[in-house]
Amino acid sequence: MRIESSESVSESVPLSQQEEWKDVTPIPQDDGKHPICPIAYTDEYREIMDYLRAVMAKEEISERALTLTGRVIQTNPGHYTAWMYRKRLVEELNADIAGELDWVSDISAMYPKNYQLWHHREALVVRLLDPKQATEEQSEAELLRHPVIRRELQFLDSALNEDSKNFHAWLYRQWLVRTYNIWEQELIFVNTMINEDVRNNSAWNQRYFVHLQGRNPTQVELDSELVSDEIVYAVENIKLAPNNESPWTYIVGLLLRHAPAKLYTELLPKIQELANDKDYSLAMTTTPFYWSALVDIYEKQARASPEQGKALIEQAQSICHSLATEHDPMHGKYWEFRNKSLSELQL
Amino acid sequence: MSHLFSYDFRYDDNVYETETSLKQVEVEENIGRIYYKLVDPSTLVNGGEIDDSGHRLLRSKHEQFVRDAIHGLSSGFAVLDASQPWLAFWSLNSLDIMGCDIDLQLRRRAVETVRRFQAENGGFCGGSRQLPHMAGSFAAIMTLVLVGDDEAYKVIDREAMYRWMMTMKQPDGSFAMHAGGEVDVRGIYCAMVVASLLNIMTPELIANSADFISQCQTCEGGIGPYPGVEAHGGYTMCGLAALEILGKTDVLDLGRLARWMSSRQLAFEGGFSGRTNKLVDGCYSYWVGGAFAILQKALKRTQSDGYLYDRAALQRYVLACCQDGRMGGLRDKPGKSSDLYHTLYCLSGLSLSQHYMGVNPDELINDNTSVYSVPARMMQWDAIPMGTEILGLRSNILKPVHPVYGVSLVPLAKCIKYFYSLPPLVASL
Repeated sequence: MRIESSESVSESVPLSQQEEWKDVTPIPQDDGKHPICPIAYTDEYREIMDYLRAVMAKEEISERALTLTGRVIQTNPGHYTAWMYRKRLVEELNADIAGELDWVSDISAMYPKNYQLWHHREALVVRLLDPKQATEEQSEAELLRHPVIRRELQFLDSALNEDSKNFHAWLYRQWLVRTYNIWEQELIFVNTMINEDVRNNSAWNQRYFVHLQGRNPTQVELDSELVSDEIVYAVENIKLAPNNESPWTYIVGLLLRHAPAKLYTELLPKIQELANDKDYSLAMTTTPFYWSALVDIYEKQARASPEQGKALIEQAQSICHSLATEHDPMHGKYWEFRNKSLSELQL
Repeated sequence: MSHLFSYDFRYDDNVYETETSLKQVEVEENIGRIYYKLVDPSTLVNGGEIDDSGHRLLRSKHEQFVRDAIHGLSSGFAVLDASQPWLAFWSLNSLDIMGCDIDLQLRRRAVETVRRFQAENGGFCGGSRQLPHMAGSFAAIMTLVLVGDDEAYKVIDREAMYRWMMTMKQPDGSFAMHAGGEVDVRGIYCAMVVASLLNIMTPELIANSADFISQCQTCEGGIGPYPGVEAHGGYTMCGLAALEILGKTDVLDLGRLARWMSSRQLAFEGGFSGRTNKLVDGCYSYWVGGAFAILQKALKRTQSDGYLYDRAALQRYVLACCQDGRMGGLRDKPGKSSDLYHTLYCLSGLSLSQHYMGVNPDELINDNTSVYSVPARMMQWDAIPMGTEILGLRSNILKPVHPVYGVSLVPLAKCIKYFYSLPPLVASL
């Protein structure tokens, strides 16, 4: 069965006057006498909902029910019950899944912030391409050429092109990459997104996701060379605009978790070099993110080398003090807290 | 005292423009025009009898906005047809936090409205004859909590609710939002709130949930919806509040969390953003701002230590930028329309920044391991005297809100008393 992108049933003629719906008794919404926050539905919406309730009540599996769910969802894409019913209809009617995916893409263009459509998509994609079989039988390169995967990546391109921080799109992208084990191309994609907007934090988050490949962060050791490369990459991007929180929080966060010693052996000399370079020194020394990174670095270094520990802690504390009072007073309470925690540190 | 607004703290784009910096600069320009006209509010903290500084809470306008919504919503709200319990919750809770009267007739109407959302096999739906939904259940039950009498509580079939929630439970500790629906941290929060209020917390229901949340903490420090996904204000509140119910906030890297949460307060605007390098939005006054109270307890800090954010600056953002003076109601940011969602979360964020919500350290219950300690631990939360900080007139003060449940304390205590005097559910359920 084909899914029409333009509905086959005329939308202007009420269902109650259509021959096709004569056998169905609509079920009106039961809101009681004086509900609070009642919605003044349009006649059209009220009618399609009355008929939806009726076909759902008898669990009707039919083409007309499928069309009806389409009309409901186009009017109200947050209607998760209609989506679940539609999912079942698509399955049991053996509807054309590719056509359904196109239909979902149209909904997505109208309602990019909707939750349900992404979840619906997942179910459709899994039916088209069994993840277990696909990952066992096909190489990553083959999967990337597979029309199902290609369509999803293209769909994501257009969604992220529209809104490069679309939370649902990134979540779906992670699902797709994880489910079909297509990690290799992902770093290239992340680089493209960061090149387009170095402040796109969703892209930086995806970068960490790619390195972990879906593993539990507390149980992963990252390759030392990879970590060093990431330090270089982050610093190169910090150079573009030092007052950009994303590369700072990315690299400090990654190192704190996976390679704390590299904070002071590798990251520290690189950012100090920048701070001393006349082309960058003003931008570096006026951004709180540089100073914030120094506090994290000195704290770790002090723990690791007790002989210099006291001096390092004092430096970190004096940075906290000037952040609180001068450079970053909006976060003064936080810097005072860091200052106090540093003073209580047992070396 | 608060850091005062200054042009020095506008966003520095390092003369390197990208989409993010352009949007940020545009928002700051709009807000700068508002702040520029305001009187320095520092003189108004916790004092003053008159306020023409632009920091007055437009209570009656907001009340009218909410009452109009309770009366009826236009056809455009059909997009919230599957979120009907939320409409009820946002409205009633906004009224309650502002201290407006919720009379008997309105309470009965609310009970009858919510009653129709309950599914036969447990749980509450987004509207009558829809599928039961975790978020819908949260909103429906919190609405009944706000109504606060036996008739309201009796609507809830708690055994069916428990059985249904167990069918949503995933082996990894998370919950699906509805049968066949998406799985994320919101589901855990809704389940923990519902279970702790209805006295249906069992070891089976909570198994692995704390571990799932800890895996959602990103290397930035905040919490995302699902392991690997970007940290986000809404999920951070859900994750942290769920862990507070579970007595397990220590599974998180609290230092990293504190840094991330603090960083969400924007240096110029004073309001919060929901993610790194995203724009300010009034609703995060609650999702991030409100979570500081829970963070404070997790870090074992007390009222004299002070919250880890600038309370007056947040109040300034909500009062000066989020109130719609023409239509009433509160909003995301200047230029946006007010709506019920933003009205509630701007108000609850405002309340949580006015009051210091905490636990008296002398009374701290350290038994975190047993589900039986939950009601006692939750009811320890109170507004600490001396902890109040109010920008503008004293009349701006709102009711104190419980940081975990997002509603005021009296109806919450009443609900807990009711359900914990009922016999516990039998193990065979």
